[in-house]
Amino acid sequence: MEIKIMKNILDRNQDKANEVRNLLILKKVLMVNIISSPGAGKTTLLERTCEAIGAKFRIGVIEGDITTDRDAQRLKKYNIPIVVINTEGGCHLDSYSISKVLDSFDLENLDVLFVENVGNLICPSQFDLGETFKLAIVSTAEGDDKPGKYPMLFREAVAVLLNKIDLIPYTNFNFESFSTDLKKINSQIPLFEISCTKGDGLEGWYKWIEDKIVGYSGIG
Amino acid sequence: MHEIGIAEDLSAIVLGTARNANLSKVTKVNIIFGKMVQIVPDIFIFAFRETVKNSVAQDAEVDIEIVPVKMKCKVCGSDFQVEENRFACNVCDSTDLEIINGKELFIKSIEGE
Repeated sequence: MEIKIMKNILDRNQDKANEVRNLLILKKVLMVNIISSPGAGKTTLLERTCEAIGAKFRIGVIEGDITTDRDAQRLKKYNIPIVVINTEGGCHLDSYSISKVLDSFDLENLDVLFVENVGNLICPSQFDLGETFKLAIVSTAEGDDKPGKYPMLFREAVAVLLNKIDLIPYTNFNFESFSTDLKKINSQIPLFEISCTKGDGLEGWYKWIEDKIVGYSGIG
Repeated sequence: MHEIGIAEDLSAIVLGTARNANLSKVTKVNIIFGKMVQIVPDIFIFAFRETVKNSVAQDAEVDIEIVPVKMKCKVCGSDFQVEENRFACNVCDSTDLEIINGKELFIKSIEGE
């Protein structure tokens, strides 16, 4: 006997993600799901961003890591609420883990919540966390072929940060090839060419994210 | 390795459905994956087998149908299949598109007795 089911396997995750999204809309908190490979510069971007816009906006961070709280330790000096989720081997965060830790934040007093997902370009793209949008970071040292190899992330993200542009002379990264692949997949997506260690190009990113936060929460 | 998380959710649906239908044995699980979700069938089947060990679904065959990425152009209305990651309408070249197929993670049905 055959029993028809016809449903999304990740319905459970999706339902919880919708719950998280509705709560964050109600509380006017912008949630950014940051996705990249390990070592692309997610934590360094958060460091620079806290320094640049931390006085204007109330920032919170969820640090997703397989193990350790090293990334969270790096952000402690900014005196912002940070919660670590250790996935203990899991390669991505899901909406259940986010929902569980939201209670630890005072959402009434938060403008933006950055979620640093586990370093991985495939799995995190698949799991809706209830975020306002996904942000992709790629670093030049990883090579220029990432959009072509991981199209889903670059379709789902609303902006791409190309980090470590100061290292281009030391790598075989071909910007033309990277940008052509990216445009084929998502022609309108904003691309910020930055170096989080040297500071290049970050002004454009700060302005963009500030506009998003103001547009979302209505503060400024 | 998102295969493991998805396999766990799948096994919960399979075992729940089998229980409700009083099946003593699940013989086949039919699923559909979109090409964009980048699931590796062999790894997925391996992960699923691990999650249904010692259950009524432990010997179930897993049938995976992979569907290509298909988009609809919001400007001229044509449907087309995405080839080589080119997300632009093949008639009018617009990039204002909506996805029709390619992101599926569906369980179609289970078979059993």
